[in-house]
Amino acid sequence: MDSIFNASGSRTDQLLLRAEIDDFNTAYAGALDEGRLQDWPGFFTDDAFYLITSRENHDAGLPVGLVYCEGAGMIRDRAFAIERTAMFAPRYLRHIVGTARLLRAGDDGTVESTANYLVLQTLFDRPESTIHQVGTYIDRFRLIDGVLKLQERRCVYDNLLVPNALVYPV
Amino acid sequence: MPWLQVASSGDVKETGALGVDVEGTPVALFRVDGAVYATHNICTHQFAFLSDGYVEDGCVECPLHQALFDIRTGRAMSAPASADLRTFAAKEEGGLVFVDLTRSAGTVAGEPHQEPAGEPGAAAEAGERLVIVGAGQAGARAAEAMRQAGHAGPILLIGDEAEAPYERPPLSKELLLGTADRESIRVLPADRLPSLGVGVRLGCRVTAIDRTARTLSLSDGSAVNYDKLLIATGARARRLSVPGADLPGVHHLRTIAEAEALGAALRAARRIVVVGAGFIGLEIASAARRLGAEATVLERADTPLERLLPPAAGRVLQSLAEVHGVAFRFGVEIAAIRRDGAGLRVDCADGTAVAADAVVVGIGTEANLELARDAGLAVDNGILVDGEGRTSDPAIFAAGDVAHYPTPINGRRCRLESWQHAQEQAIAAGRTMAGQATTYGRTPWFWTDQFGRNIQMIGLPSRDATVFVRGTAGEAGSVLYLLEGGTLSAAIAFDDPQAIRDARARIESGAPVDAASLGAVPLPAATSASACPGAPSDCAASGAPAEESQTMAEPQPSFRWPEEGLTRIPDWVYTDETIYRREVERIFHGRSWNYVALEAEIPNPGDYVRSNVGPTPVVVSRAEDGSINVFENRCAHRAAEFCRSLRGNAKEFVCPYHQWSYDLKGNLVGVPFRRGVDGKGGMPKDFRAQDHGLTQLAVTTHRGVVFASYASDMEPLADYLGPDIMGEFEATFDGRPLKVLGYYRNTLPGNWKLYHENLKDPYHATLLHTFLVSFGLLVAGNRSLMLCDESGRHGVMASAKSDGKNVSQENKKEMRAYQEGMVLEEPRFVDYRPEFDSPWSVTMMTVWPNMIVQREMNTLGIRQIVPTGPNEFIMNWTMFGFEGDDDEMLRHRLRQGNLMGPAGFLGLEDNEAIKYVQDGMKNVPDGRHLVALDPATEAGTSDTLISESAIRAMYRHWRSVMDV
Repeated sequence: MDSIFNASGSRTDQLLLRAEIDDFNTAYAGALDEGRLQDWPGFFTDDAFYLITSRENHDAGLPVGLVYCEGAGMIRDRAFAIERTAMFAPRYLRHIVGTARLLRAGDDGTVESTANYLVLQTLFDRPESTIHQVGTYIDRFRLIDGVLKLQERRCVYDNLLVPNALVYPV
Repeated sequence: MPWLQVASSGDVKETGALGVDVEGTPVALFRVDGAVYATHNICTHQFAFLSDGYVEDGCVECPLHQALFDIRTGRAMSAPASADLRTFAAKEEGGLVFVDLTRSAGTVAGEPHQEPAGEPGAAAEAGERLVIVGAGQAGARAAEAMRQAGHAGPILLIGDEAEAPYERPPLSKELLLGTADRESIRVLPADRLPSLGVGVRLGCRVTAIDRTARTLSLSDGSAVNYDKLLIATGARARRLSVPGADLPGVHHLRTIAEAEALGAALRAARRIVVVGAGFIGLEIASAARRLGAEATVLERADTPLERLLPPAAGRVLQSLAEVHGVAFRFGVEIAAIRRDGAGLRVDCADGTAVAADAVVVGIGTEANLELARDAGLAVDNGILVDGEGRTSDPAIFAAGDVAHYPTPINGRRCRLESWQHAQEQAIAAGRTMAGQATTYGRTPWFWTDQFGRNIQMIGLPSRDATVFVRGTAGEAGSVLYLLEGGTLSAAIAFDDPQAIRDARARIESGAPVDAASLGAVPLPAATSASACPGAPSDCAASGAPAEESQTMAEPQPSFRWPEEGLTRIPDWVYTDETIYRREVERIFHGRSWNYVALEAEIPNPGDYVRSNVGPTPVVVSRAEDGSINVFENRCAHRAAEFCRSLRGNAKEFVCPYHQWSYDLKGNLVGVPFRRGVDGKGGMPKDFRAQDHGLTQLAVTTHRGVVFASYASDMEPLADYLGPDIMGEFEATFDGRPLKVLGYYRNTLPGNWKLYHENLKDPYHATLLHTFLVSFGLLVAGNRSLMLCDESGRHGVMASAKSDGKNVSQENKKEMRAYQEGMVLEEPRFVDYRPEFDSPWSVTMMTVWPNMIVQREMNTLGIRQIVPTGPNEFIMNWTMFGFEGDDDEMLRHRLRQGNLMGPAGFLGLEDNEAIKYVQDGMKNVPDGRHLVALDPATEAGTSDTLISESAIRAMYRHWRSVMDV
């Protein structure tokens, strides 16, 4: 991976990596938008960290998250709990993820990137879809058996006031 | 560097400043008492040219924020400036002005502009010797006026107080409240009298006047000769002549020392008795209420200010005081004051008694006229003078409070105790003594500050005048007009200086006026009685404020509570706009402590956070003295919400619209171009910054949690919460320093009270929150308690975690949510790690009206309710841990945070459920809720989870506050 970011790394390699991350994000959004919550944990490594937090907290270095998962177990617990136990009005969500921006490659074979996202929510009793969350993913990927997985995803949202409740993952 | 020629002499005038550029340095040139001075032209506070400022009394006032600098020394005299201004040496030669940038003003000894040496008597031969007895405002102003009128001979000012001359109006206002200090109320800058060559002898009393020898005898045994004498000995506070009048704790108010002693006493006292309902008495009562003490005014007459005002006008002032919680008793003779335990007891002649921690006697003054009377001068209740201040002895003058003078109003003579009189009549007398005969004929003008109102009075009121009112008497912008014989004799304006200027013109013209042309109507004789018919006494103790009765009189929908009582709640409680507005007024802005911040968010001076009390935006700020201050985030000028950052550190708050600036306590310190430019525009002359600060709230803190209240006389937090709730509060806030971990914020489309009800409703927890139940965190068999305080407004829902094994089959069937076999992969995040001295693993505390304390095992947070209307509110969550948490404990709290907040397993369900409830009320007219669970407990604390008694207790309280 490291070579991709070297001066000698080819432009094509960089484009391919970005395309791969964009494909990843598209698949990730697809799983959530289609309500396949059980597939969502599969996008993460076993030691993954997943966080949804406000830009207010992120900028101030404050650690809390609306969702704070250490490890794939907690991510699976959340998917399970939301799907099986949580009470909320039915809704559709749609994730619009922008093109990834590659930041750097770590010596340990990780890749850091960001991508802006928009989550639209549609409730069944209103005609309009509302912008439920606007933010950016701050990601660290790792290749597991040749497949990109998220070792860390921080979803940092700009709209500090969450509209009522955030049910599904971002 | 040589002297640089910078201007022509003629361009530097006494009335203003000239800005010049001297080799790149902006310099302001001034002329004070004939001599030129030069300073740097830019204010040391913020960028503004002092040459655009206002020059007065040897000082220049910055046009931007009214920083004041001494022109001679550059010394910064007032906030907001703290750094002195650079001065430059300046001189005049041959009609030109020269400045030396390398030297400051003080280094040019012997230059022509230096003041004459201040030794009195050094130039005795040059003119008559003028002596002033009394070093108050009148004495000091007269001395200055004598010199300014060209008197070249010696001037000597003798005062019996060991204090440099000071103004007395702040003694009963700012000095009591601690918003001004003794140095800020001096009549003149410290070096003013020496620089004018006025001799000053303080701490020395004149004991006799020998008019034949023109000699004064002094208390130190010496004698002083005079050619002309000014008596400005003022007045003294009248004393009660009853037993106990001189006990410790019985105060009078006349001197700076007495004001400081009284201020300290008011701050320490819970109950103040004021004897005398005059202006001083009312101002002291106002200060006492502002400082949080109960105030009772005892008055011998039947209305306030009976000697001065028509009874109807006095009652307006009474009403204003009563609305602010002052109790009055009229027709009361004081029999004695006694010590009673740690406090005092005022015994009345009718056999009743009033307890007090401090007693203040404000029953008027007596002129200090013994000196004049013993010398054979004509006196009444003051020393008789003519319009120029001359007594019956042409060599002796009198000025200020002691002078009995002919007013311009129908030639009526009286003794006036006002700032204006002490200032201007003394200046007239001083000028006359210096050879420039000056008649004082100003229409009497007076102001008082009480209960948040600036009240000004123009003219000479009399008891027999007929009173007319424009506006609602006592409200801001209202005016009382006193008419006698078809002309205006006086006007009293509440927060309306313009009305005073208009009234002055009418009074001075003497033209006939009628009420209609003033836009006024007759003032009902019983204005005050509207709050308390027929019984003007003790209104505040029992009565609703007058404004409430007005609110009730408005046509409005009928809010009839269902006949079944507390087991039914009508929908309009949650949906009606009128109800919501009344809640803001009576609950959030009423007698409540509202959570606003944690001290940990503002550890350092200048730190601030934006917050809310009810819907109202406030700023919570830590001032330089370490105090925490809460004030409205609304500029006093044009209402702009000036503070936009969520938090930060500031030296001051400046509204960006017109640059009005406020200190860290919310006091107004600067108004740009307050004096206008080139003498045009600007604020009215009588504009006083201290009357236009931000609305400040009462503040209390406990264990690092900050509360604010619009009520200035709130009971202590411990009394507000009651012992049970306070016990639970202190179990969570156990003394460990708090550490903020971050924030959640969400809107919630439901009525704000539904959130309280959600946490007074243990019934829902077992049924809605499958997550809790599935993992045994809360089941019907768990040990639990729903605790309410006595009032019913606060509550704590508490439970102790069980492992779920003891859930009976019968209970499981009832709880459809219970899911056998559901296990978490990472169950550690719902562990409870005991850290509190409490039998409960979970407590959810509702502190009326806007705070929830979440102790969900180890995830801790405060939720602040910010209502934005009947149908929606904002919830601000401040999640915290403790300083000293190790990394693992911190992460445990963060992991456990997945339970709460707008994405929490439990939190999102509550938010959804509350939205469901509000939605359910939208399209069903005249609906009602059923809250009938647990009839064995009508309202209040219950030890079963299957109960709604806490909700009923809350509504019992709510209905009493809301009058529905």
